[in-house]
Amino acid sequence: MRALCWEGVGKLAVRDVPEPAIRAAGDIIVKVKASSVCGSDLHLINGYLPAMREGDILGHEFMGEVVETGPDVRRIKVGDRVVVGSVVACGGCWYCRTEQYSLCDNSNPQPVFTEKLWGHSPAGILGYSHAAGGYSGSHAEYIRVPFGDVGAFTVPDGVPDDSVVFASDAMPTGWMAADFCGLKGGEVVAVWGAGGVGQMAARSAQILGAERVIVIDRLPERLATAAGRLGVETINYAETDVLEALRELTAGRGPDACIEAVGMESHDVGPIYAYDKAKQTARLQSDRPTSIRQAIMACRKGGTVSIVGVYGGLVDKFPLGAAMNKALVLRMGQMHAQRYIPMLLDRIAVGEIDPGYLATHPMPLEQGAKGYEIFEKKEDGCLRTVLHPQAA
Amino acid sequence: MTSNGARWALAGAATVTAVGVGRAVARRRRRHQPEREDGWYVVHRGITVDRPVDAVIGFWTDRERLDRGLAEWATLEQVDDNRWRCVASDPVGGGTEWRAEITVDGPRRLSWRVTAGPVAQRGRVELLPAPQDRGTEIRAELRWRSGPVRRMLGLAGGHEPDLALRSALRRIKSLLETGQVLDTRHDPSGRDPKQEQATDRIREQLMVGGRP
Repeated sequence: MRALCWEGVGKLAVRDVPEPAIRAAGDIIVKVKASSVCGSDLHLINGYLPAMREGDILGHEFMGEVVETGPDVRRIKVGDRVVVGSVVACGGCWYCRTEQYSLCDNSNPQPVFTEKLWGHSPAGILGYSHAAGGYSGSHAEYIRVPFGDVGAFTVPDGVPDDSVVFASDAMPTGWMAADFCGLKGGEVVAVWGAGGVGQMAARSAQILGAERVIVIDRLPERLATAAGRLGVETINYAETDVLEALRELTAGRGPDACIEAVGMESHDVGPIYAYDKAKQTARLQSDRPTSIRQAIMACRKGGTVSIVGVYGGLVDKFPLGAAMNKALVLRMGQMHAQRYIPMLLDRIAVGEIDPGYLATHPMPLEQGAKGYEIFEKKEDGCLRTVLHPQAA
Repeated sequence: MTSNGARWALAGAATVTAVGVGRAVARRRRRHQPEREDGWYVVHRGITVDRPVDAVIGFWTDRERLDRGLAEWATLEQVDDNRWRCVASDPVGGGTEWRAEITVDGPRRLSWRVTAGPVAQRGRVELLPAPQDRGTEIRAELRWRSGPVRRMLGLAGGHEPDLALRSALRRIKSLLETGQVLDTRHDPSGRDPKQEQATDRIREQLMVGGRP
């Protein structure tokens, strides 16, 4: 079958690879119909999240049709149209029992790296390097999904592939970001990043009761899309002093909750950004925490900073003093896909959330490398490239 | 011109630094060493399984599940009421074979002794209920005979008994909680056989001794 493989830092190519097979009783094989690129793939492609090997198949946000099931699979049937959560969860450990699926104890068969780096090893993630289990990803015609009964969900009829595909990762991540904020109704929520996750976080915050949502980015077209689709306020950080703007928009208080949906390759303007970029390029720090610094500084006293952008290692100049003395609540994590997906599918079915507009660039798999390039450079108003492995 | 005084000061500072670093390294090394007792290395390792103690014991007494779980790496044979004989080969350690005798010492305790294998070892396992409804703590004590050089070589090659114990506990936890042990080796990739071999070696390093 054809698959989009990582060939070295910054290099991708479509290759002929063997087809996957059922290897354990709980496995299912999914024929991939739609597989989205994700901002966190860029960290892998660019070598910021380590442990990629030549030939690894990328992709973790996808939907498709079940073509084979292992003998222990009960809930999912061959022929089901399913969306699959990006994080692999066993369904049998304490973390899965308490719905903290991205912390699953058993789904990373290669836990040494993350155990050393982070103290403990969280769940494995499909198509996400050898630190996250070494799973083959979804930018391929077929993919093996372990624990199919836990990770795959049948999708409502009538919802297009390119819409429901975001229930795999971007939507649950955005929802969890808003969920972390503990909204009770009437809050002001600021969201850093107007990409797929940021926009879903903004929509989720609205549904969960935020009175005002303010989205921050530097790309006018993304901000315009967010304002048009979701009715949020926007700040362009390339043109405006974000801290001042947020303070004035909230009459001096600051947002009640700040969501960071950017991650380790955060951009900014000015000399401090140049300094961070230089340090990261020289591998003197692994992550650029630009947007987190802003979120902490902007957040109201006693507010919540919710981090769902991906960070891998160490950061410099983290304003812990501001967080401590303002008594902030910091919440963060990879999303617990399996906890949120069924609820999100219901909301898609009734039209409460429609993520389909994120799929600005549908493409055949063969053009995968080009698709990532457009996505990374944010060319042509690209929000997400969605690859179609079954298209010619 | 650099004066003799400056040279001596530099040399002094360098010596103090070298001694300091050396001591810090030695202290760190000592902290990471297992205990030694009469020529045996001793380590204690534990893992928490999200199942009640009875279910963990049940796994050991359910012959069919046990055999299925152990299929790829060990066979068990019952000798009498309280004794078992085990032949295990280490799938990530190049197929080294071990023979061990397992004795049930009490309702929640068993011990084992390696009767044939590269390293003399013995150990015991105790099952304790974990607090807060967290299931069962499997607590193991392992003793093996080795010297510092051999231990260093073992650590480098991933064949150290402590690493094997940690891997075994993770495997047992996974079998109890999910009925399987995940493996992603040789899943589809765009690698040629040579690249795949190199990746296998890295995967092995990422698997051996890892804890969740």
